[in-house]
Amino acid sequence: MLRLVAGRIVSSIGTLLFVGLALFALTRSGPGSPARIVLGADATAEQIVQFEQAHGLDRPFLSQYAAWLGDVVRGDFGKSFVTGRNVATDIVSALPVTLSIVLFAFAIALVCGVGIGVLAALRPGGAFDRVSRFAAVLGLSIPAFWLGIVLIRFLAVDLRLLPPGGYFPLSAGLSLHLQSILMPSLSLAVYYIAVLARMTQASLQETLRGDYVRTARAMGLSSRQVVFYALVNALPPVINLAALSFGYMFGWALIIEQVFNIPGLSRALLNAISQRDFLLLQGIVFLFTAIFVFANLGADLINRVLDPRQRAAA
Amino acid sequence: MLTVPTNRRAFLAAAAGGALGGLLPASLLHAQPNNGKTLTIVLPSNPITIDPINQLNHDAMVLGQTVFENLVEYDVDGVLKPQLAKALPVISADKKTYTFDLRDDVTFHNGKKMTAEDVKYSFDYLLDPANKAARRSLFTRITKVTVLDPLKVQFDLSEPYGPWLYFLTKYMGIYPAGSRKEHGDDYFKSRPAGVGTGFGIFEEWKPNDYISFKKNPNYWRKGLPHWDRLVVKMIPEDATRVAYLLTGQVDLISAPPPREFNRLKTMPGITGASRPTLGGALLMYTNNLKAPFDDVNFRKAVSAAIDRKTIGEKVYYGLLDPSSVPAPARGWWFNAEADKELGFDLDKAKALLAKSKYATGAEFDLSIQAEPYLLDTKDAAIFVQAQLAKIGIKVNLKVYEFSVLIQQAIRGEHQAALQVFMSPGEPSYIMQVCLTPEQVLSKSTGYNNPEFNQTLAAAFAETEEAKLKEAYGKLQALAARDAPLGVLGYVHASNLWRQTVQDVKVNQGLTIAPGEIKV
Repeated sequence: MLRLVAGRIVSSIGTLLFVGLALFALTRSGPGSPARIVLGADATAEQIVQFEQAHGLDRPFLSQYAAWLGDVVRGDFGKSFVTGRNVATDIVSALPVTLSIVLFAFAIALVCGVGIGVLAALRPGGAFDRVSRFAAVLGLSIPAFWLGIVLIRFLAVDLRLLPPGGYFPLSAGLSLHLQSILMPSLSLAVYYIAVLARMTQASLQETLRGDYVRTARAMGLSSRQVVFYALVNALPPVINLAALSFGYMFGWALIIEQVFNIPGLSRALLNAISQRDFLLLQGIVFLFTAIFVFANLGADLINRVLDPRQRAAA
Repeated sequence: MLTVPTNRRAFLAAAAGGALGGLLPASLLHAQPNNGKTLTIVLPSNPITIDPINQLNHDAMVLGQTVFENLVEYDVDGVLKPQLAKALPVISADKKTYTFDLRDDVTFHNGKKMTAEDVKYSFDYLLDPANKAARRSLFTRITKVTVLDPLKVQFDLSEPYGPWLYFLTKYMGIYPAGSRKEHGDDYFKSRPAGVGTGFGIFEEWKPNDYISFKKNPNYWRKGLPHWDRLVVKMIPEDATRVAYLLTGQVDLISAPPPREFNRLKTMPGITGASRPTLGGALLMYTNNLKAPFDDVNFRKAVSAAIDRKTIGEKVYYGLLDPSSVPAPARGWWFNAEADKELGFDLDKAKALLAKSKYATGAEFDLSIQAEPYLLDTKDAAIFVQAQLAKIGIKVNLKVYEFSVLIQQAIRGEHQAALQVFMSPGEPSYIMQVCLTPEQVLSKSTGYNNPEFNQTLAAAFAETEEAKLKEAYGKLQALAARDAPLGVLGYVHASNLWRQTVQDVKVNQGLTIAPGEIKV
């Protein structure tokens, strides 16, 4: 088991290195120089060259990558040549904002998605099943940014129940914090509630049709016990999907943070893209990739614990 | 007596009730966050610097203009007025020496009195190429700054060049002698506390969220500002910016969506205004060195085929004033006759096209900007495409990010490109930058006409408005004769604000002017 875990960690690091290289190549292959953003539309060619020399942008690609990677390993993400601020400091101050929204959205998606999926699976064809199917189609079809704007319109502008946007940290009080993350997290979660509900329902129904379930019922186990055992066995695909969803949520947060005016990592990323702030862009995408890779690693490990066959194989 | 629920269901119900109860009353706080004397304004973009000598984005210039001031100010109405100087400068007969008397009641935020030494230091720093000021090139005709006495300073120019005074408000600021060396450039960029003379003292920059300033209690204009704290928030999303205003989270927003502007400004508790800018033009850079724009009749046909009035009224809901020459219709230097020569006339357009090398029609690529700035140029581009089709010209729309599009125009790689170009609003700026050689955007048109260049140089030596009007009028007439640059009109600056704030004046230069706003 330990060897396997070590193997997965090594391969995850390999993935990160590869993504880092691809990221580096992509950020530099796009048209438009950060010099133009910093120095303005009417900067002279000479000023542009000076800027690129001063920030090492004229050096060979691989040499830039090696230098950046070396710094990242030491925990130094560099200093943005657009804003002049330390990239690591910017990331550290914005990360908790995005994390709190994504974690809250993930919790909503997990609880509601799995809950709805289980209830629907228990009475296939019943009223709850039919309503949940309709709701799932709706949840899959509604764009998160549109839902966000609609929520702002009704809950903030018309009913004045919640602030229209912005972010209050936990230190400002639990109530303010929850108010500021409720609408963004809900907008982010709706799609994943639908996805997880459908997957849980399908997987649980499949498991409930298994021979061992019939045997368990014949042995006189209570309905609650049977469903519990079936659910544990139905969980691995749901966990894999949840892990992927967790990673994807960081991507969708890009739009949600923009709509709700939240000063998180995704908003910083969007600014970094438009301002050609290479170092900040690389730092944030690298972090997102790491989160995505390690979420999947976590899902694999949980599945190994849940699935006796995988434990045995290990 | 308070009882604690002991069974699980009751506990969960109580906890949920408590959480909801806690949530709702606190939410009411959001209805009035602007109590006290805080003025909260909103920008549509994310600034990268407060340093006055490196300003690019005209919305974000509110930051630099809150902290820093200049010898003279190009004000919200487009009038040049003394600021840190007692009066406008005395200009020598040869128009090459400018002498300023400084106010004696100005102190920096660090308590130090402002003197001529500070002015000299500030300009010397700006002009030193090693300091890489973004707009140094606008001021390079200044050869020497001399301190005549502690409150008198003299500027010597290499040649007559009147426009430099108009560029100060947007691209310059006065800071204490020695402060750049003492603090470093990053300090001016992101936390310039103590180094300005303006009505606001830098307080905090929270990246991607807000920048705040506190009132300068020793401001030389007594009684200003009327607020204790100024918060400048950054909200790029149009709908969210509007929601913040409607819910009272903020007092004033810039760049409201044009489509919504007229409806929003009549909503309860909200008011708004717009006014034409003197320097924000919707330009179509036509590359005169590339076919089909290498033919003057073709260029004039394109100009005559575009119905600017309809674009202004129907596409941009009155937030674009039509003009076909590089001058705003409400500017004192506007030449109406020249404008008419290039104006909408479909029959004339057909006749001009028939006279051109491309009598049987032509096709060209029009580069447009992906991200809207002030106006979404994609709307006008589609309209132009439809209008030119009427005279047999096919337009292919190509969408690029700002940084790519501007690079194309600078290098002259485009055939035509549509962009809102925001300038300081000084009459010669757009004409000089786009229509004379060796300027940054010279290749956007490729135009080089000695008569035009000489007329512009002569205008630089003039200071009398009547003579300047004649010179600028001639330049517009030449622009009408040769049609080197497509002009569709001048954009309006518009703001929306809550009725709880007063004395808001929309700035012709676009940048919000919060100094005199009452909370």
